[in-house]
Amino acid sequence: MKDLSSLKDLGLETSDTIIIGVVVLVFILTVRAFGSYFARFNNNINDFFFSGQRFSWWLPAASMVATGIGSYSFLKYSEQGYNTGMSSTMTYMNDWFAVPFFVFGWLPIIYFSRIKSVPEYFERRFNTLARYIALAILLAYMFFYIGYNFFTLGLVFDELFGISQMYSIPLIGIFIGAYVTFGGQTAVIFTDLFQGIMLYIAGFIAVFAGIYALGGFSEWWGWLPETHRLPFVHLTENPKFNTAGLFWGEALAGSIAFGFMNQGFLMRYLSIKSVDEGRKAAFFNVLITLPVSAIIVGAVGWIAKALVMKQAATGGIVGYESFEITDTFVTFLIVCWTVVKQNPWVFGFVLSALLAALMSTTDTLINACAAVGIYDLYKPLIKKDADDAHYLKAARWVSVATTIIGMLLVIWFVNQDGSLMSIHYKGIMIIIPAIVTTIFLGAFWRRFTPLAACVSMIVGSVVTVMTVWSPEWIDWLAAYVSGPQNGKYYYMRALYGMLITGTVGVVITLVQNWFFPESAKNNFERSDGLTICTLNKAMENYKGGKPNHEIGVKVYDLSNVKFDESLAYNTVAMSSANMDLLKANDADLIYISDQRWHLGGLRSNHVKVFTGKGFDVNSIAMSKKTFEEAYLIEGKPLTAEKIF
Amino acid sequence: MSKIKSSVLIPFLIIFSLVYIYFYPRFLIENLGEGNPWTSYLYLYGFGGYFFLIGLMLITKTGACQFGRGQDTKWFVILCSGFVALMSLHAVWIYLALSIPVKSGVN
Repeated sequence: MKDLSSLKDLGLETSDTIIIGVVVLVFILTVRAFGSYFARFNNNINDFFFSGQRFSWWLPAASMVATGIGSYSFLKYSEQGYNTGMSSTMTYMNDWFAVPFFVFGWLPIIYFSRIKSVPEYFERRFNTLARYIALAILLAYMFFYIGYNFFTLGLVFDELFGISQMYSIPLIGIFIGAYVTFGGQTAVIFTDLFQGIMLYIAGFIAVFAGIYALGGFSEWWGWLPETHRLPFVHLTENPKFNTAGLFWGEALAGSIAFGFMNQGFLMRYLSIKSVDEGRKAAFFNVLITLPVSAIIVGAVGWIAKALVMKQAATGGIVGYESFEITDTFVTFLIVCWTVVKQNPWVFGFVLSALLAALMSTTDTLINACAAVGIYDLYKPLIKKDADDAHYLKAARWVSVATTIIGMLLVIWFVNQDGSLMSIHYKGIMIIIPAIVTTIFLGAFWRRFTPLAACVSMIVGSVVTVMTVWSPEWIDWLAAYVSGPQNGKYYYMRALYGMLITGTVGVVITLVQNWFFPESAKNNFERSDGLTICTLNKAMENYKGGKPNHEIGVKVYDLSNVKFDESLAYNTVAMSSANMDLLKANDADLIYISDQRWHLGGLRSNHVKVFTGKGFDVNSIAMSKKTFEEAYLIEGKPLTAEKIF
Repeated sequence: MSKIKSSVLIPFLIIFSLVYIYFYPRFLIENLGEGNPWTSYLYLYGFGGYFFLIGLMLITKTGACQFGRGQDTKWFVILCSGFVALMSLHAVWIYLALSIPVKSGVN
């Protein structure tokens, strides 16, 4: 029996390593070519960061698969799956509780207010100081993730090929930085879509090969110990992984952070053509993508456990080399190598998926950091009134700088102790509580004041950080919610931070509203369209008129496009019959698009519609500029649908 | 009138929440035990469901979700169905994990 503590113990032949390397290289070059193609769809800064708010829901939703799975996910969750079983799915399947707040609250607020970044929301909702406090926290969050992704990939390269992180990280960094720098959000979405598909295929290959090695699904389930079959772990036992902690730290704080303040995810939602389509993407993501992803990243660990149990009971598995995992960190790689019968081509492909997971998460974060850098630092503080070409160039430089900073952060991660899981949650649970709570109070409580937002963010952050040295402060809270009381508090720290931030914010707001009603009134006016109570106002601002909520049907086969330069930019005219089908009135907002669904809205735009005279049902009129800015192609029929 | 209503309702909700957060898990642990998988399940859905309900109340009371407007009713139904679906899935999962015998005899 092989006692494997590292991949170097696998005994890879030189020829195997070369084949694996070739497969990985081909994969990288394919992604690069794919990303380069989409650089042409960046006319302006809005295209670069938000793809012009034009995509159908399924495209960003599918691309979020790859974004949500980092390179660490395969390693971390396979390790967790091996140690605790199917409860490794918990962090992926506890997001539903926050969904009402997101789909009916935060999503329409940021979409209709045309918010470009979370710090921008803080400026408009509160004040400039709040914006920059939020910016500091947000950058810490995003750079933490970028650095963490580079760090885990470096570990894999070191384990597998013996390539030092000193060389592998800069190489991968240059590659990712290049396609994000030139391709922008459109390149990110399309390469992530491609990488997401590859990732699922590779993940399923590993899972099916494992199930096959065990002798079928019932064999796998039969050999899995009861503790490993359960979807939840013990309520409090394990300080690093327990149900109570995961609920407060992960399901609440973590889910809200991912949905509400992860600039990368927000930019995906803002690239979608309407709020309704955004809701579809959100539901799809939480109901389908996350559970499937939980299986993809964790199942190899569950299979590993069943294999080890069966081996121990039967003396080995016919046709497969016996093994024992002593270092659970490499569970995914060791089990994959074993169950694909040491085929370097298949293993190379699976490894490419790991690489895809890294690249897709990192590219999103680099693009997101660049957006924050331009909209929150460069534009307001350095160059206020430049043209789009200038900002586009600056955005590319910010992408380069972000990549370099992310790579440099690896030096810090290398010096951290503990498992991948503990490093990850230790960092995130310190960074997020204050900002998450402030966003929440800002969006859902109109009375919440700018002073309260600033003070509570600072106090909340400082106190949360201090609990690292004084974890006993959390004891009473952990006891109150019947959570783990072990003095380590990975997740309870987030609950504590949220509680402190929330309490400070609420007390200051109540005092201010009570003693200074005049300032409270100003705050009320300022928050128009930026809170859940004022969404109708936000919709009106977005449309530039009263929304028309009547539900119409989509109009197809608009094959006769007439160019009419008398029509203003971003307006179109069509027949009254089509207007009736759309249930649209003059000046309503509609969405026109190339009819080919598989483009996902790549060639499309939002326009205002008017009734034209003498039009048949296949005709639509617009100016040449409107046509070109929507990337439409002459001779290709269009569709139209009403937004509101 | 609505001001008086909210000035009574909000403190009541806060006190009720604090009492609920304190007593609910203790009730579960006392009756089922900390290590019981149903304790973890009920802890998650008891607190998660409470948070979810507050969300539903908030979006309907503030008018962010208005039944009969656009697609709002459809999304609201999906929201509730999704919650029930995930809750049922986890319940069936625990049941199957506990009821099918383990080959190695190890629990």
